Amino acid sequence: MTALLELRNMTKKFGGLTAVNEMSFEVNEGETLGLIGPNGAGKTTIFNLIMNELKQNSGEILLQGKEISRLATHERVKRGIVRTYQVPRPFAEMTVASNIRVGMMPDDLVLMISEPPDTAKEREIGKAVGFGDRELAMYPSELSMGDLRRLELARNIAADPKLLLLDEVFAGLTVGEISQISDLLVEKKKQGLTYIIVSHDLRSLAPLVDRVVAMSFGEMIAEGSFDEVISDEGVQKAYLGH
Amino acid sequence: MDRTGLGKALACWAVFGIVMCLLPFVVTTGTLRVFIFANFLAMFAMSWDIISGRTGYISFGHPFLIGVAGYTTAMLTYHLDVPLFLSIPAAVLAAMVAGTLFFVPALRTRGTYFALVTLAFMELLYGLTQVVQPKITGGTRGLSGLPSVVSGAVPNYYLSFLVMFAIGIVLWLIVRTRIGTALSAIRMDEDAVKSTGLNTTKLKLFAFMVSAAVAGIAGALYVHYLGSIAPRGIFEINFLFTILVAALLGGPGTIIGPIIGAFFLTCLLEFLRPYIPGTERYLIYGLVALVLYYYAPKGLYGIITWVLERVGVIKPEGAKA
Repeated sequence: MTALLELRNMTKKFGGLTAVNEMSFEVNEGETLGLIGPNGAGKTTIFNLIMNELKQNSGEILLQGKEISRLATHERVKRGIVRTYQVPRPFAEMTVASNIRVGMMPDDLVLMISEPPDTAKEREIGKAVGFGDRELAMYPSELSMGDLRRLELARNIAADPKLLLLDEVFAGLTVGEISQISDLLVEKKKQGLTYIIVSHDLRSLAPLVDRVVAMSFGEMIAEGSFDEVISDEGVQKAYLGH
Repeated sequence: MDRTGLGKALACWAVFGIVMCLLPFVVTTGTLRVFIFANFLAMFAMSWDIISGRTGYISFGHPFLIGVAGYTTAMLTYHLDVPLFLSIPAAVLAAMVAGTLFFVPALRTRGTYFALVTLAFMELLYGLTQVVQPKITGGTRGLSGLPSVVSGAVPNYYLSFLVMFAIGIVLWLIVRTRIGTALSAIRMDEDAVKSTGLNTTKLKLFAFMVSAAVAGIAGALYVHYLGSIAPRGIFEINFLFTILVAALLGGPGTIIGPIIGAFFLTCLLEFLRPYIPGTERYLIYGLVALVLYYYAPKGLYGIITWVLERVGVIKPEGAKA
C-alpha cells in the first residue's frame, strides 16, 4: 500500500546546526501519528518542511507516492495537506465566520468574485468544532486560547484536507479545553481523517494516535505504538536527561 | 453583508451620486473646480487603497503609474495627434504593463522594502523623463497644450465625477466579494493565507493590475484636464503624500474611505486658503491627519460607521457574520 505521506532522508540545517537529520517516516491513509520529543527536537521544523515554509537541504517528500518537494505551500494545501500553528494565527480583524470563509475559498479569482460565500457551510463547519452563531460573529481577540485552537481547526477542516498537521494543539489550554479538542480529534479520527500530531502532553496524546515517532536533536530515536515508544530507554533519556 | 445592508449601502451610493450631480446647480465655477480636483484625488486614493489599503503592501510609487499613463497619452496626442479615444486606453494599458514589469518583482519584498522599491521606481521615472529624449518627453518643462476631453468647468466636473463614481462602485463591489476578504487576510497574515491553499501572488497581482488600471484611467484624464504634464508636478513627493493622506485619513482598505478622505482633504486645503494662503496650510492638514490617526486609526469612514452603528442605522461588523 502506498503511504499517504512519506518523508525520505529529510535534512534541514540552519548554518552549523542540523535541526533535522536524515529523518524518514511515513503515515498511511486513515492513520494517526504522534510526533514527540523534547524542546528543540525538530518536530515543528518537520511540519515547516512538509508545508514548504522551510526548504530542506536534502531529502524527499512524497504525497500518495508523488514527489511534492517542488510545490509551493498553497499547492500542497490544494493536494490536501493543512497545518495548525503552535501559536494560533487567526485573521485578527475578521470574525470567526470570515476566518472560516478564507479556509473555504477556492483558489480561483473568477469563482471568488462570481460565487457568494456559502454561509450555511460556514455555520456547519463552525458547529463541527463547537461554535454557535454567537461565536461565529465574534472576533479572535474575544476568544479564549481553546477557542482560537478550535478556530484554526475549523479553518483547516474547511479546506477539506487529506492530512492534518497539528502542532501543539493542547498548549496553553485548560483541562476542559484539552478535553474538548481531544474529543473533536477522536471524532475526526473515527471519520477517517489522517493526522500527525505534535504534543508535549503525552497523556492527552495517548488515545489519539495509532503510532508514535520520537525525535531528539533532529533524529528519530524510536518508532512504534504509544506504549512501546514511551517505555523506550532512549526516549526516557531524551526527556529526563538520564 | 445581508440584503438589507446591501440595500442601505446602495441607497447611500445613490444619494451620494444624486447630490454630486446636483452640485453644479448650487455652487460656483470656482468651487466646482475644487471638486474636480477632489474627484481626481479620490481616484488616485482608491487606486492606492486597492493594493496598499487592502493587502498592506504600502506603495510609495503610485505617481509612477500615474506618470506612465499621463506621459503615454500626452506624447501620443502631442507628437502623433493620436485621438483621445485611442490614446487614453493606450495609456491605461501602458500603466498596467509598466506596473507589471516593474512592480510585480517588487511584490517579492515586503513591508518597508516594498515601499522603498516602489519609491525608487517613482524617482527613476522622475529622472528619466527629464534626461532621456527630452524632445519627446519635453524634458524638465514637460509637455503643454494637450487637448482636453471636454471643455468648461461643468462638463469636466461631470466627466471626472462620473468616472470616479463608476470606479468607486466597481471597486466597492469587488472588495465585497470573497476576493476582498482574501486581500484583507493577506494584510493580516500572508503566510496564514498561503496555508489555507490560496495563491497570494495571484491575488496580489490581481489587486495590483486593478490598481494600475485605475491609476492609468485617472492619470490620463488628469493630464488632459490640466492640459499639460511636467515631471515636477507628477513625481513631486507632496503629490504622493496627498494621495496617501487622503486614503489614510478617509479609512484605508474600505474604498469608500479614500473618497471621503479626498473630498475632506481637498476642501480643507481650499477652505483654509483665504486664511492661510501659503504652504503653511499643509501644517494644519498635517495636524488634522496626526490627530485623526492617533484617535481614529480607521479614519473618517471608521468614525462615520461607528456613529451609524450607535444610532442603529447599520449593524456592527461582528453581528453581520
